[in-house]
Amino acid sequence: NSHQLPSLPLQILFYVNGIYYIFYFLATLAMIVYKSQALSYPDDFLAPDVTLLFIMAVLEALRLHLGSKGNLTEEEAPLGLSLVMTVGSVAGAVYFLLWQTYVLKADVILNAVLLFTYGLESVLKVMAIAAF
Amino acid sequence: VSKLCVCDLLVAQCDVNCCCDPDCSAAEFSLFTTCSVPIVTGDSRLCSQKAAVYSLDVEANPPERIFELTDQVNPSIFCIHATNYKQALSFRSPEMPTSENFDQLLKQFGRASFRAEPDSWKMNTDAQNPDANKTHRYEHGVPVQTVDAFLRLPSPVVSSWCSDANPAGFLVNQATKCTRSVSVEECSNVEAVSMLFYMNSSILVVPKSSQTVNITVRSVVVQSLNGMRTLLNGSDVLRLPMLWDELCINIVLGVSYHITYTDAGEIIEAAASFVLGAINKEALSIQQSFEISFTQVNTEPVPLSGNPGYVVGLPVRAGFRPQGYPFPMEIPFAEFCIQNTNKYGQLTVLQSTSSQDCLAARGARTPVLFGYNMISGCKLRITAAMKCQPLAQTLLDLLKGQSFPEYVASFGNSQAQDVLDWVPITQLHTSERRISNAFQSSCQIPVSLEIEVKWTKYGSLVNLQARIVNVTAQISTLPWKQLPSGRERTIPVMSSVVFTDISSPAEPGYKAWPTINVKLPYDFFFPFV
Repeated sequence: NSHQLPSLPLQILFYVNGIYYIFYFLATLAMIVYKSQALSYPDDFLAPDVTLLFIMAVLEALRLHLGSKGNLTEEEAPLGLSLVMTVGSVAGAVYFLLWQTYVLKADVILNAVLLFTYGLESVLKVMAIAAF
Repeated sequence: VSKLCVCDLLVAQCDVNCCCDPDCSAAEFSLFTTCSVPIVTGDSRLCSQKAAVYSLDVEANPPERIFELTDQVNPSIFCIHATNYKQALSFRSPEMPTSENFDQLLKQFGRASFRAEPDSWKMNTDAQNPDANKTHRYEHGVPVQTVDAFLRLPSPVVSSWCSDANPAGFLVNQATKCTRSVSVEECSNVEAVSMLFYMNSSILVVPKSSQTVNITVRSVVVQSLNGMRTLLNGSDVLRLPMLWDELCINIVLGVSYHITYTDAGEIIEAAASFVLGAINKEALSIQQSFEISFTQVNTEPVPLSGNPGYVVGLPVRAGFRPQGYPFPMEIPFAEFCIQNTNKYGQLTVLQSTSSQDCLAARGARTPVLFGYNMISGCKLRITAAMKCQPLAQTLLDLLKGQSFPEYVASFGNSQAQDVLDWVPITQLHTSERRISNAFQSSCQIPVSLEIEVKWTKYGSLVNLQARIVNVTAQISTLPWKQLPSGRERTIPVMSSVVFTDISSPAEPGYKAWPTINVKLPYDFFFPFV
């Protein structure tokens, strides 16, 4: 089918997601540092939060790479894998939204935007998989 | 939040101006002027929290209290939306001891003080190896070490009995007196009365070193039972206590240590002078006196009256200039001669005696101590037979003493070689009734000597030193009136010493402004210059 093209909105979304995630990662890290100084943040609670943030960053990079590759090469497998990894990222974002030690208003905003982006991305991926 | 009230201190009573007090009635609220606690909220860092606002409505008649429960919103983007950490915003309640955690709690909190960090963070000072190659030296106050322990200077502790545990401190000149119990029977058993006890251990040259200095015997004075002392020749022999004809002789009654040190903090010589005595059968105890003095090597042991400033209570140091005053100051060998090595004999004034007769008690002088104003005097009986000139001379000798010095040291530690550290004594003569009786006989008899010592505070505010600036000795005289025969006259003769503080107020001293020392490197404009 020569009319099959890579999904442009999805690619744009991947690009924007990448930039936004860099900003999100730095902001969340900075806020964790701020919280550890201004509030009582014992080490037992600090370690899981920071670890999860780094794991989420690695996951995100991999997910975006796979999704972009799958979209551009019009293959379903990487795109499907990326969709599965999106579930993990969503779990991470939900953790930072609800179950973090201290949830600041800025955290709420950042994670809400991220979740919305993931949601949109997931819909577009499903559509792309269906089209390929 | 509506139940919290910080100002509710009195139980079941209304606190004044406390709007949140539940014990107050409306009538009492109307008597308040302000609300001391206007708002009670939770942690203000939370995004939204409940707040109880109390205020007084003074417009209404009678004034009434208004209570509102509102939501306070923190507008900051970093306000805490939620916490999943229970103890985040409140104080931690301490652990209740149970049988499981009791030991751990005891270990942590069981001492007199405890801190948050665990013990492993304590600085391990034992790990720092003492520097074996570092040269030790004695410092002021450090006990003088000997081969076995310390150089002992027995002194009375709680009572007047001697305790041998008092170490002698380096550069601390001490003199102690104490009582030792000894009897003729145990004459040779009590080791604290034998010379050997004070001489057997050798002194270490520097702390923790292996070089030692033996204590040598400088002189031995033997005191007989009636108190007469004789200096013995040939004092190298060690005399041990022994029984002799029902007496116990060679008992140590006094030891005087003289330690010579270098300015590197090493002890190079130690000598002891002994006073040996004898006791008879009735004696049960003796009084021993001990003294230690430190002299720097190659200097004369001139007793200091302060270092450098004068210490209140120590004698004023004074001396003469043998070459005479108009000697040029540049000659480096101009030296002062401190006539009297007895530190209390340098500047003296007449001492009042009980007999109050000037001519009877001659020679009784009292030293001038720094900071102590003194006045003394006596009465002089003038009879007809006395002549003016010899009497004037006698009185002058009486007031001034045998050797009245010409110079006074401005600092307590002024050395004789430093010419500029010595202040000349200005001698003034005033005679009374000068204007009238111009034709009276010109013979004047001195009747009073007033020494005024002007001193100033010198140095930095944290460590003021006293420095003598000016000394004047004023002799007032009376004209001589020959008495008709048979008549007598008594005139008072007085001498006084006054110390006046002429210090100027302190001036602030500032450090120099730091300068910015920025220079471009030499080859900064390399291709062009």
